[in-house]
Order: sequence, then structure tokens, then C-alpha cells
Amino acid sequence: MNWSVLLVAMAPEILLLAGLVILILIDTFMARPRGLLAVSVAAVIAATVAAAALAVIGYAAAPFPGHFSVDSSAYAAKAIVLVLALPALLLGRDDFRGGPFYSLLLSSMVGTTLILSADSFLTLFLGLELMSIPVYVLVLLAMQRVEATEAALKYLILGGTATAMLLMGVSLLFGYTGSLSLGAFGSLLDTGNPMAQAAVVLILLAFFLKAAIVPFHTWAPDAYEAATVPVTGFMSTVIKAGVLLAAVRLFGVNSLSGRLVELLAILSLASIVWGNLAAIRQTSFRRMIAYSSIAHAGYLFYAFLGDGEGRFEAVAFYALVYGLMNMLAFASLPAAGDDVERDRLENLKGYFQRAPFAALMIAVAMFSLAGIPPLPGFVAKFLIFRNVMEAGYTLYAVLGLVGSYLGIYFYLRVLQYMFMSPAPSGLKPQPQAALALGAIAVCLVPAVILTVYPGGLLRGL
Amino acid sequence: MADAVLLNVVLYLPLLGIALIVALPEGDDERVRSWSFGVMLAQFVITAMLYLRFDPNVAGLQAETNLPWIADWGVSYRIGLDGYNVLLVLLTAFLGPLVVAGAFNAIRRDVRLFYAMVFFIQFAMLGTFVAQDLLLFYIFWETMLIPMFLIIGIWGGERRIYATLKFVLYTAFGSILMLAALIYLVWSHYQATGNLSFALADLFGARLTLAEQGWLLAAFALSFAIKVPMVPFHTWLPDAHVEAPTTGSVILAGVLLKMGTYGFIKLGFPLFPQAAQLAMPAVMALAVVSIVYGACLALVQTDIKKIIAYSSISHLGYVMLGLASLDLIGIQGAIIQMVSHGLTAAGLFLMVGMIYERCHTRELAAYGGLAKALPVYSVFFMILTLAAIGLPTTSGFTGEFLVLLGAFNAAWPQHLAGDSVPLVWAVIAVSGVVLGAMYMLWFAQRFLYGTTRVPHGPVADLNRREKLILAALLVPVFWIGLAPDEPMRKTEQAALHFQRLVAGAQQPDALAAAPPPLAQRRMEAAR
Repeated sequence: MNWSVLLVAMAPEILLLAGLVILILIDTFMARPRGLLAVSVAAVIAATVAAAALAVIGYAAAPFPGHFSVDSSAYAAKAIVLVLALPALLLGRDDFRGGPFYSLLLSSMVGTTLILSADSFLTLFLGLELMSIPVYVLVLLAMQRVEATEAALKYLILGGTATAMLLMGVSLLFGYTGSLSLGAFGSLLDTGNPMAQAAVVLILLAFFLKAAIVPFHTWAPDAYEAATVPVTGFMSTVIKAGVLLAAVRLFGVNSLSGRLVELLAILSLASIVWGNLAAIRQTSFRRMIAYSSIAHAGYLFYAFLGDGEGRFEAVAFYALVYGLMNMLAFASLPAAGDDVERDRLENLKGYFQRAPFAALMIAVAMFSLAGIPPLPGFVAKFLIFRNVMEAGYTLYAVLGLVGSYLGIYFYLRVLQYMFMSPAPSGLKPQPQAALALGAIAVCLVPAVILTVYPGGLLRGL
Repeated sequence: MADAVLLNVVLYLPLLGIALIVALPEGDDERVRSWSFGVMLAQFVITAMLYLRFDPNVAGLQAETNLPWIADWGVSYRIGLDGYNVLLVLLTAFLGPLVVAGAFNAIRRDVRLFYAMVFFIQFAMLGTFVAQDLLLFYIFWETMLIPMFLIIGIWGGERRIYATLKFVLYTAFGSILMLAALIYLVWSHYQATGNLSFALADLFGARLTLAEQGWLLAAFALSFAIKVPMVPFHTWLPDAHVEAPTTGSVILAGVLLKMGTYGFIKLGFPLFPQAAQLAMPAVMALAVVSIVYGACLALVQTDIKKIIAYSSISHLGYVMLGLASLDLIGIQGAIIQMVSHGLTAAGLFLMVGMIYERCHTRELAAYGGLAKALPVYSVFFMILTLAAIGLPTTSGFTGEFLVLLGAFNAAWPQHLAGDSVPLVWAVIAVSGVVLGAMYMLWFAQRFLYGTTRVPHGPVADLNRREKLILAALLVPVFWIGLAPDEPMRKTEQAALHFQRLVAGAQQPDALAAAPPPLAQRRMEAAR
């Protein structure tokens, strides 16, 4: 084994692990742990910079042939999920005073980066579990309500079901092809063999569950509502982006055909329509974002209808923009007080009067999530539907766009509360915490760049 | 080159305005107002320079900027002036300072956000006009929703939230189908030619089957028809106008409604010429229905703002009629009518705002005899009323007359050839002029004459700021009315371009047929 190749190729993972080790050491040996936030932020920034730099120079290597390989798109994917983790970390300090938050988040990040390089189902499974298990804990970690335990249990059980389905599918796949490599999955896509088809469907279902696609979405609203703001942000952006980008890696450049197209298109469409419609009725901000994220998972899976070449570009751009905007909204919420109160949508009434800047940031995020230009959410959505249409699925593209229209109303309702309704009495203006401002900046700066010149990033992807 | 830089300056000055406002300390509303006015005025001066330097004899783009933007997809940042947009850009820039000045007293809450939104919508509207790339056009087009949503929703009347949501949801529905259509158009153009490009100049040559053209035209036309608005897609307009603050109404009537007709003339018809030819009878019918139906609805309203809102529907029907005639005079008349309506409707909405600030009601029945109580106000109101109904020497006359002339010009040879339907429509359209005179004069009579009734009166007549705003508005009204030659020359190349693309396109099945197609006969007859 060539150690220098290993060190360079796995630089993001190694940097995250180093941060994790330091965190645990601090937690163990210092009587009053300090600097946890600084260490974890430093580790994530270092990993992001490493991944982005390696992506730009186009480094490619396979330190563990057949199990783990990297190329520029894998690094780009890692850089995207790492950037999205940064605001979640910054937001975490108000809700989580102890060390476990940072170490759990970092270990989940190690898992996320791992699946983006997986070449075999072994690595993929390892990474997915490493990614998910800390999040089960994170949902409960800052529990303030009894219902949260129920939601966390639901999440754990459905997460376990996803794992079981993945393993079942993989064993069928191994039985049919005698191989555990991701490439074997691509070769199964257009075989008529029932065993192969069962393998494909089971593996797909695992991804649908993790990404919360209708009808496998029921855990998401409960889990998102139960978790605190930074964890909800983390789940709805980093985890979702990780799962979708891993799915892109799984499908490779294979174009879908036959029944699989219908399965994917119909479930995605159902997610878009149901997510957007159900979001209208929510009274909790996080539940609303949960349904919105179900709809966005639908758009993201729509990208798989397109040709293999453009798929990574579309999913990566979309996941980045969607994640940045979601995080921007979470970072701009009223500062942490009573968590349940903070989460009520009604409490955003008159928010512009209390905190003009934060209200404007949420407005930007909502317009972008609704896909209204000139915000980057539009370009992301355009990219996906362009790919679908280019693959010849005009009808699906039109239906998807009409489905996205259904989503405009509930995003506008947030704006209506913030700008057009008088504030409920008894709420005092609360300045944004400095860390929240940092998180806003982390989201806003790339978003502005992507608005003005999306072509730059797209050329790099 | 210098012109191109100037056009970019004009486009981005509003963003600079936003930056200036944000930099000002909170609470200094006076300075926010004066600085906003200054920026808008500067924008108008530069635009006027560009207008004067615009060469009417050159076909195609002037002051053009063309830079790659999203190069991988063939999207470019391409803006420029041509005969289609030069008058509308001038109109937008001209109304800018007046809109800002008109809101000095009316807007007292969240002043900084308000002027930022006015600048934002100014930016989006100018961008929509000057964009020469389909995706860029779409981005600016949709961007207009954001500031308008906030302007109506925050500073509007009692039912403002209902009105603003209705406005956004109506227009967004049309746009979403237009997005699908434009992706399809670019993709099939790429399939056919191997040239991936969103540039309008390239797409005008796209070869599509008639069925494809029909679907795509339907998607584009739905979006534009909602924006115009044409009957039966007009129901959002009265609500939006009534609930919007004066500034919102002025922007809506002055510029925003022209987006729909501009979309038809710039994109909808020329991109899909064969389908457009087949659709023209239907367009003409809808246009005439809009003229008459809008006028009839205006006749029975009791709310002053609603009268003017419905009259807008009627006036924009003329624009569509002029376009549908495919006659050179009719097309030019349509462009002039767009500008004319922008001036008179903006002026009337400003005047309604002025009286509302004083008397706090829009019920027509509450008013009477203002000519005695507010003589200066009444003079201005009467002049604008007469301009709106098309009294000769005003811009309204030029627009309506040219449109009707064009409609008859085109209909007569068809009548001789045995197809009298267009002639019937043209005759009915003339009745719209009579109806227009009826509702506006009746309105003015009840409003200005009779026993004096001034709610919350007595009130002061116009102050100097208001007089200046209205006097400035009247200058172009009479300019276009008395010397229409100059602005019309600037549109001539565009009208020829439109006519060549739409009327000159041959139906696929008529390519080999012996008699020349209908449109060509019309062109010859027009000469």
C-alpha cells in the first residue's frame, strides 16, 4: 500500500477523523472542555478546502481498489456536503452545550464523505451506517419534549428498515452477479431477471427511505420537528445531499429505461405534489420544511430520468443550492429561546419589524426554495428539468414543473407572516447571535456568487 | 461601445440605488426619498441620451452587450436596444422618477424597504425589455413577481394579501408553462441544428413542426395573456389594482401590463410564426372581446380605481388588435398605444392616489363637483381623461387611430377576397372607442361636475410637487399626439422585422401551392 497516495486521496476523511480524535481527547482530559466548536469548525473547513482543492486540480486515485476511489467529481461532492455542514456546526452551540454534539456531527460527516467515494456495497453500507447512527442520537440529544422520543424511535426503526432492505438487495445482487461492486448494480438495470429486478428495487427503496420519498416519507416530519434547529438543518441538507449524491454514484452513467423510469418518475412526482400540498397546512416551521424537503427530494430524484452525463452536475448543483438556502432560513430564525415557541410559524408574524435583516434572509431563502428567479434555486430547478426534457420525457417535465408551482403558495405564506402581518404582542426584538450571523454569511456568500455567475461552478462540476 | 456601457449603467443604476438606500441610516426618510429620486432622474437622463442616439434606420440590435453567462448551456448575457423595446425602455425610465415622487407622502411605513422594492422592480422591468436571450428574459420576467408581491402585500389596502397572492399565483402559473416551453424550444433547436443557444436571434430560425409550434405558442401565449391581461385571464387585475398602493398601481398600469403585449410582439408570435398565423383570428377575437368587455365593465364600476383598471383591459385590447392585424401601421400603432396607455393610465392612477390621500375614499358616489373645489386638479384630470379616450392631439388618439387603421387595412382585402370576419371585428373594435368615451366622460362628469361633494373636505388643491409630476407626464402625451412621426420612425425597423417573421412565414403545406399565402397577399395589399 502506498501511504502517500492514501494520505492525499483520503485527506478530507483523515482531517475529519483528526478533528474527531482531538474532540474526544479534549472531552476526556479537560475538566471543563473548551474550544470544541473551534476544533470542529477547523476540521470541517480544512476538509472542505482539501476536497475543493483536490477537485479543482482533478486528482484521481484508488487507494483501496474496488472499494474506495476518488476523482474530481467525488471531491466536488464531498466539498458540497462539507460546506453544508459548516452552518449546522455554527448553529449548534446555543442548543448543545456539551461535546457529544460536535463529535457525533463529525463522525456523521466521515460517513457521508465515505459513501461519496464508495466503489463497493461494503463501503457504501459502512458509510451509510456511520452517517445515520449519530443522527439518531442527535435527534434525541437536546430533547425538550416527550414526543421527541417517539419521533426518534420512528426514525430509528425506519432507518433500520432501510438498512435491512439495502442488505437484502445487496445479497440478491451478490447472488446474481457474484460481485459487490457498485458497477454490478448498473449492469442489472436493464436485465429482465426477476432476482436482478428485486435487487435493484430493494436497493432503490433503501435510498427512497433515506431521502424521504413519498410513500416512505412519514418519518421525516416527525423527526424534523423533534430535532432542534441545527440537527434539522443537518438532516435536511447534508444527509439528503449525501444520499442523493451517493445515488448518483450508484447509477453511474447508466440511463434508465422501461419500468424503472415509471417507478422513479411517479414516486418523485408524488413526492413533489404531496410534499408541496401537505406543507400548506403546517403550523410548525420545521414540519413545513420537512414537507418542503420531501418535495425537493422529488426534484432531485427527477434528475435521474435525465442522461447519465448531466446527472451529477444537476444533482450536485441542486443539492448545494437547496442546502445553502435551507440553512440560511434556519440560521435566520429567531434566536433560541423556548424551542417549541421558536418553531411556531405564527411567531414569524411581524418578524420584519423585529429583525429586518433576518427576515430578509428568510425571504431570500423562501423565494429561492420556491424556484423564483433570479435566486439560485431557479437555475438549479431549470437544470434538472432541462435534463429531463432532453432525455425525451417532456410530459414528466411539464408535470414536474406544474407540481413545483403548487409549492409557491406555502413559501409565500412565510413571507406574508413576516412582512404583512402585525407582530403578536409580547415578543421582543432579539438580536441575531454572532454565530448565527457567521452561519448566515457561510450560506449567503456562495449563494450570491451562484446567483450572479452560476456558469463558473457548473463548468467545474 | 459607449452606448453599450450606457445601457448597462441604466440597467444597474437601480441596484446602485438599493445599495445607497441600505447604506443610509434608519429613520432618515427624507434623504431616502431625495436620493431615490436623484438616482431615478439620472437613469432617465441617460436613457434619454440613449434614445436620442438610437439610429432608426438600422435593423437589429444597438448598444449591444454579449457575454457568455452560463456558457455550457448556451446562455449568454445579451442585452441591447431595438425598435421593439426602445420606446418602452424610455417609458419605464421616464415613469421612474415620477413614481418615486408620487409616493413621497403616501408611503410612511418601512420607507427604505419600499424604495428598495421600487428600484428592484425597475431593474427587473428594464431587464425584461432589454434582454435578448430567452433565459435572461425569463429570469427578469419572473423577478418582477418578487417586488410586486411585496409592494401590494405590505403597503396595499384592506384585502391586500388576497390580491397579492392572486396576482402572484396567476402569473406564476403562466410562467411555469412558459419555462417548459422554452426549454423544449431550445432543446429541439439544438437537436435540429447542433447549436445550443438561448439567443433570440438564433431561435427565430428554429424549425418546428406545426403541432410543436401550436403547443409552444399556447404555453407562451397563456403566460403573456395573463400578464396583458386579456379576457378571460383578467380577473387578477382589478383586485391587484384596487388593493395596491398608488405606486403599485402606477407601476402595474404604466409598465408591467406592457410586459404581456411586449412578450407577444417580441417572442410569442415571431418564434412560432406558422402557428401564430393560424391563431390570429382567435387573437383578434379575444382582443376585440377585451376591448368591448373591458369597456362595458368599466361603465358599471362604482370604485374609481376599478374604472381605470377595467379601462386598461380595454386599452390593451387595442394593442393586441394592432398586432393581430399584421399590418405595418397596425403594428407600429400597437407599440405607440402601449406607450400611450402607459402614460395616461399611470397619470390617472397617480391622480386617483392624490385624491385618495386627501379624501380617503375611492367610492365614486362620494364625490361630485370637484371642478369648483379643486380647479387645478380637475384641469389635469380632464386632460388625462381626454387623452385616455383618444382625443386628437393626444397620444391616445395616435395609438388608437393607427391600430384601427391597421385593422381595416388588413381586413379590407380579406373582405374583398370573401372573408368578412376580420372586417366585422374591426367594426366592433371601433365601437370600443365610443364605449371608452362613454365611461370616461360619464366618470368625469360625475366626478368633476354637479353639486360639490368632497369627503373629509374642504381639502387643498394640488401642491407644487404634484403639479410638476402631472405637468411632466403631459409633455410626452402631447409630444406623441402632435408629432408622432419621430417615435414611430424608431419602431419602424422592428415592425418590419415582426411583419417579415410572422406574416412572411409560409405555412408548411402552402410551400408548393400556387397562390401566395394569405399573409403575403395582405402585405401586398398594404403596400
